[in-house]
Amino acid sequence: MTLVKEAPARPAGKRSAAPVAGRRGRRRENLAGYLFMSPWIAGFLLLTAGPMIASLYYAFTSYNLFTPPKWVGLDNFTTMFQDPRWQKSVEVTLKYVVVATPLKLLLALGVALLLAQKRRGQGLYRAAFYMPSLIGASVSVGFVWRALFSDDAVVDRTQKIFGLDVGGWIGNPDYVLYALVALSIWQFGAPMVIFLAGLKQVPQELYEAAEMDGAGPFRRFWNITLPMISPVLFFNVLLESIHAFQVFGSAYVVSDTRCGPADATLVYTCYLYQKGFKEAQMGFASAMAWTLVVAVALVTAVLFWSQKKWVHYEEAAK
Amino acid sequence: MGTSRNVERRTILKAAGATAATLGLAATTGCGGSSEAGDGTVTIRYAWWGGEPRTIAIKKTIALFEKKYPKIKIKPEFTDYEAFWEKFQTQASGGNPPDVFQNAVGFLRKYDKRGVLLDLKAQSDAGNLRLDNFRNGVLANGQVDGKQLGIPVGANTMALVIDLKAFKKAGVEAKFGWTWDEYFDALQTIQDKVKIAGDTGYFSIMYLYDLYLRQNGKAFFTDSGLGFTEDDLTQWWEDGYKRVKSGLVADPKKIEQVKPKSGLSAGLAASEFTWDNFSIRYEGEGESDYGLAPIPTTDGKDTGQYLGSLMLSGFSGTKHPKEVAQFIDFMVHDPEVGEIMGYDRGILATTEQYDAFKPTDENNKGIAAYEEEVAKAGVLGKITPHPSGADVVEAAFLRIGGEVAQGKTKPADAAKALFSEAKAAFAG
Repeated sequence: MTLVKEAPARPAGKRSAAPVAGRRGRRRENLAGYLFMSPWIAGFLLLTAGPMIASLYYAFTSYNLFTPPKWVGLDNFTTMFQDPRWQKSVEVTLKYVVVATPLKLLLALGVALLLAQKRRGQGLYRAAFYMPSLIGASVSVGFVWRALFSDDAVVDRTQKIFGLDVGGWIGNPDYVLYALVALSIWQFGAPMVIFLAGLKQVPQELYEAAEMDGAGPFRRFWNITLPMISPVLFFNVLLESIHAFQVFGSAYVVSDTRCGPADATLVYTCYLYQKGFKEAQMGFASAMAWTLVVAVALVTAVLFWSQKKWVHYEEAAK
Repeated sequence: MGTSRNVERRTILKAAGATAATLGLAATTGCGGSSEAGDGTVTIRYAWWGGEPRTIAIKKTIALFEKKYPKIKIKPEFTDYEAFWEKFQTQASGGNPPDVFQNAVGFLRKYDKRGVLLDLKAQSDAGNLRLDNFRNGVLANGQVDGKQLGIPVGANTMALVIDLKAFKKAGVEAKFGWTWDEYFDALQTIQDKVKIAGDTGYFSIMYLYDLYLRQNGKAFFTDSGLGFTEDDLTQWWEDGYKRVKSGLVADPKKIEQVKPKSGLSAGLAASEFTWDNFSIRYEGEGESDYGLAPIPTTDGKDTGQYLGSLMLSGFSGTKHPKEVAQFIDFMVHDPEVGEIMGYDRGILATTEQYDAFKPTDENNKGIAAYEEEVAKAGVLGKITPHPSGADVVEAAFLRIGGEVAQGKTKPADAAKALFSEAKAAFAG
């Protein structure tokens, strides 16, 4: 803190000599700042804030893109809650979130624990494990996944070796969602890097002390590592579940743009997209979008509330 | 830092310049659409869906047009079918659809209702577009409520594509006027003797169900809704599901996974109902030989068939309606265009083009022979313009039929779901 006080705000010059000019200079500086930011501000207002407000309005209208929106009050929401396909999309999405998020984080933490130890070629391993996160969202990976999990493809043949003859996952409504889960888990690189950073922060003395007291590896992990990285864990849980709620690309590509078969991969955003862009029911789609926003906000709130019970912040950091 | 004021002024100016440039850029991109250059050259946008062979052929026809009409430039836009209509919908709602575009009967009323389609009758009256020489009354496909909203480029009809080797091995023959019972018996024989399913999944194809309904005095669509009952559909899907269970129809799980390849060319089944001009794809995809067979009937005579067609439509708000009409006229009447396109979009619609193209390969010859046979049999009926929302209903029919096949929805519930979704689609 003292450093800041010592550092002069600016080299002495005309500015400090004339306070009025200084104020004007600061104002001009601010102006320049705003001018530089203006493309971004304009973009934010036009491309993010504006459409969001518009969609909030559309959520209460019947709007087919061609004729002007017609105010219908809460109709979109009541139709939505009664729509069996909407219910199905909620069910599919919740299943995906509940299965994919913990598995992905578990793998991320596991690999981070392995990579935290010093060994040769460490950087290479880290890069290799992180790589899928960079390309995972691309359409081409979706196609690769489709090819891997199809009938008589690699996964199917491998399963057969172990006597599991279920055919490909892609055409099977009971399995196809798990192909998407696998795709999500495969991209564990981003949370892994965050876990790695967290693990580096754990003071080595704690382990040394615990070892002296005779604590085994599992006990050290449970009583030291886990509590010490719980803020990082919390951050990852939060981020990954929000991501999972918004899954779209993989579902859309893997199931050949139809989010099926038999609506088995009809995740929330996929149905939203179909309603908006295929059936031109923009009012309904907007209502869906805002319902998702509220749902994700609620989940976030619950997570924040729960952190008091399991996230440990170091006293010193307070 | 003595020059700080100058520096600041410069930064401000730069920032202002950058902002102005950005805004200027936004302004220029804001105005799309057709344009007219200083020398009177007009540019119109032409959009279509289809695979690569079609795109190559169409680009050749564009080059030909631009040579004959040097004052008109054509800007091509193309995607696959699904992406085409998503893009088109967004463009059209923003008032910026292409000037000329490929169209189909399922979309005519929908976009007419939304005021997007140009009535080409006026252009015909002005002498920019000829409406004569269309074969077998196919021009009527583009008419809605007395307006000419589309000009057919080709005509096609539903057919049964069969794996010739499998049919031969099983010793069954597909003959004109055969009944549904005979067809399903044939599938049973194929299953017994060749050990593959007979059909790829006929019961979720809307256009085939339409033929079945027509054979029974109904139709899939009326002008404003559905032309059949929930019980009709429940029965249709119950029979279909029974045949999936018994293995007469291919396992839908496998069909799903060979996509975009067809179940027929992947060897999963011995026959598939589709449009006759689609049959070209099977030779390229599969390892057997394929041929066109007649649609089964209810009474041994009436197939319920009609000529469908792909057409070209214009945008009602185009700045160059005359050029749009000239372009369409050239595309549907010019003999050279006919020679280039062949039967890619169905049998050529006008006599000039039909006479100009003489198919030399087995596939195209087969399609021509098939349609001639159908026309000769005198079974061709009239097509009803589909109501607005027909495209959404077709997608729902395919999806819900798939759920029935997978055993995920009971036929009665499925029929109920389709009717409820159709109601919403027609209202939208």
